[in-house]
Amino acid sequence: MRGALDRFALLATPGLAYLAIVYALPLMLLLAESLRDAEGVLSVRRYTEFFADSFNMTVFWRTLRVALMTTLLALVIAYPTAFALARARGWAQTAILVAMVLPLSVGVIVKAFAWSILFRSNGALNEFLQWIGLIERPIRLLFTETALVIGAANVFLPFMVLPIYAVVRQLDPALGAAAASLGATPWFRFFRVTLPLTLPGVVAGSAFVFSLAVSMYVIPSLIVGERQQTLSMLIARSFLFLRDEQLGSTISALLLVIAVAVVLGSSWLARRLGSRE
Amino acid sequence: MTETTASPGTPGEARYLDVAAVSKSYRGTRVIEGLDFRVARGELVSLLGPSGCGKTTLLRLIAGLVDADDGAISIGGRNVTRTPAHRRNVSVVFQNYALFPHLNVADNVAFGLRARGREKTRIDGLVANALDLVRMAEFAARPVSALSGGQQQRVAVARALVVEPDLLLLVEPFSALDRKLRETMQVELKTLLRARGMTAIFVTHDQDEALAVSSRIAVMNRGRIEQFATPAELYARPATPFALEFVGLSTRLNGRVTAGGAGTVEVATAHGTLRAPGDLAAGTPVVVGVRPELIRLDRQGTGAEANVITARVADVMFVGSKTHLHGAAGEGDVILCELPGISETPPPGEDAQLAWSVGDTLLYERAA
Repeated sequence: MRGALDRFALLATPGLAYLAIVYALPLMLLLAESLRDAEGVLSVRRYTEFFADSFNMTVFWRTLRVALMTTLLALVIAYPTAFALARARGWAQTAILVAMVLPLSVGVIVKAFAWSILFRSNGALNEFLQWIGLIERPIRLLFTETALVIGAANVFLPFMVLPIYAVVRQLDPALGAAAASLGATPWFRFFRVTLPLTLPGVVAGSAFVFSLAVSMYVIPSLIVGERQQTLSMLIARSFLFLRDEQLGSTISALLLVIAVAVVLGSSWLARRLGSRE
Repeated sequence: MTETTASPGTPGEARYLDVAAVSKSYRGTRVIEGLDFRVARGELVSLLGPSGCGKTTLLRLIAGLVDADDGAISIGGRNVTRTPAHRRNVSVVFQNYALFPHLNVADNVAFGLRARGREKTRIDGLVANALDLVRMAEFAARPVSALSGGQQQRVAVARALVVEPDLLLLVEPFSALDRKLRETMQVELKTLLRARGMTAIFVTHDQDEALAVSSRIAVMNRGRIEQFATPAELYARPATPFALEFVGLSTRLNGRVTAGGAGTVEVATAHGTLRAPGDLAAGTPVVVGVRPELIRLDRQGTGAEANVITARVADVMFVGSKTHLHGAAGEGDVILCELPGISETPPPGEDAQLAWSVGDTLLYERAA
């Protein structure tokens, strides 16, 4: 058994080598760069400096907030969609799948300009809101955090739907029927059967979307621009305009820590949830 | 009629479960057609039929998992036609048992009690009792995925019974078990249900299972109940050609009535003229049937009270306690004779004379 396993492990060698050179090595260099002071001595000074700056802190919290809101919005939309997708048959299923995946093929830049038509002060959304009487004068939508969250959730939606769909598809319909016959109301069935059994999909989808949203660069650049900076935009500014490699490395390392924490945390959670099965 | 007479020794009202003129269609296809079905309190009955006959739909209608298009369903005098499943107090044991994979054995059993908001302090005791009843007490803390098929079935039964349902429905409950375990579980479950006076309906396509567990069997075909009777009655006097064919083995010959009268008719078949008790007009297309163990090999020919046919022996099969002789028969006909033990028969290829008494002959009108 052991020998067979090792031989198969060899198949991972090209992939591992590639990742080591193209992914791990530069990141290690980046990390090392962030942990040096001006004289090249090991130091966490850049980190303390970074967190002491209130502007940086604003950006830091905004980035986390936007990523969290994007994840939540995507989850709220994706969860019922995944059920519709799993229960649909034939052309209906194909239609939902295409509707989910097709937007992936439209570049973010195209979408961003399309959104600006929707969100601008004389845009379709404002006109609609005024028409139904919800607002009296146009409100600012473009260049706001709300617009960013809505746009980002749209782009990342498939990454939430597909993992949940994969779990929902495995769900035995007899479980719901059994729960109902045992006296469980629809709410009780949802919270005690459906939700716990689909949670692994929710965790996986949320981890995907959160990691993507916390490090997104193009979408906020296009939708909110310089007004509402995120950590990724700070990194780009440090490298490209400020020429401060150390600052860029420091923020990059922070983002990396967040991403690793999310991945480890979610896989731990998924294992815990899975172990009960 | 048979549906209102409870089987011997059955206590309770004859209309404990009353399904009256119920119909159900799926996407324009009638699955259940104006169906009546009555079960007495404490009875164990089976719905027996081939797949697609509507037996599972009838079960889902009784459980409240689907709504009837027409008709009424009442349980213990309570009209539940429009009552959702979770308020019907009808437990279902599903074919794959549908145990909750994220809960352990005890939590699975406790599910119905928690759903009904029973006091926490009482739940543990009830669960322990239910697990004792099915001899699964030592497995309480196990995840359900660690259980064998038979153990899963026991947990499913405990989970269904612990809520004290008015009615227990079981879908092919033994089909996932191997033959030996199946027989043990059938006896065990039957004893348990009898002891508790539970009214239960088994849904199955397996006649042996239906015969083993139920005091009455409803044979279903194309969304209707063709016959609802005790196993003995069903076997001796099948009400329809379908019941004859579906339950037990039989010799069946298609024919046409040539002469009627005096409670006995003559029927022309591909294997000669036969007589059968009945009152059908000459010219009526019919099926003539007889149970195979009522047929004897007759080399000399017999008296006037017997039907005799000559058939080429197609195959002789020794099946343990008996010998099956298959006769060569035309399209739509079946010739089968069951002889006790290891019987002397003509070898395949030769002719055999088969005889049975006119009184044992079954006669059915056949759709032309």
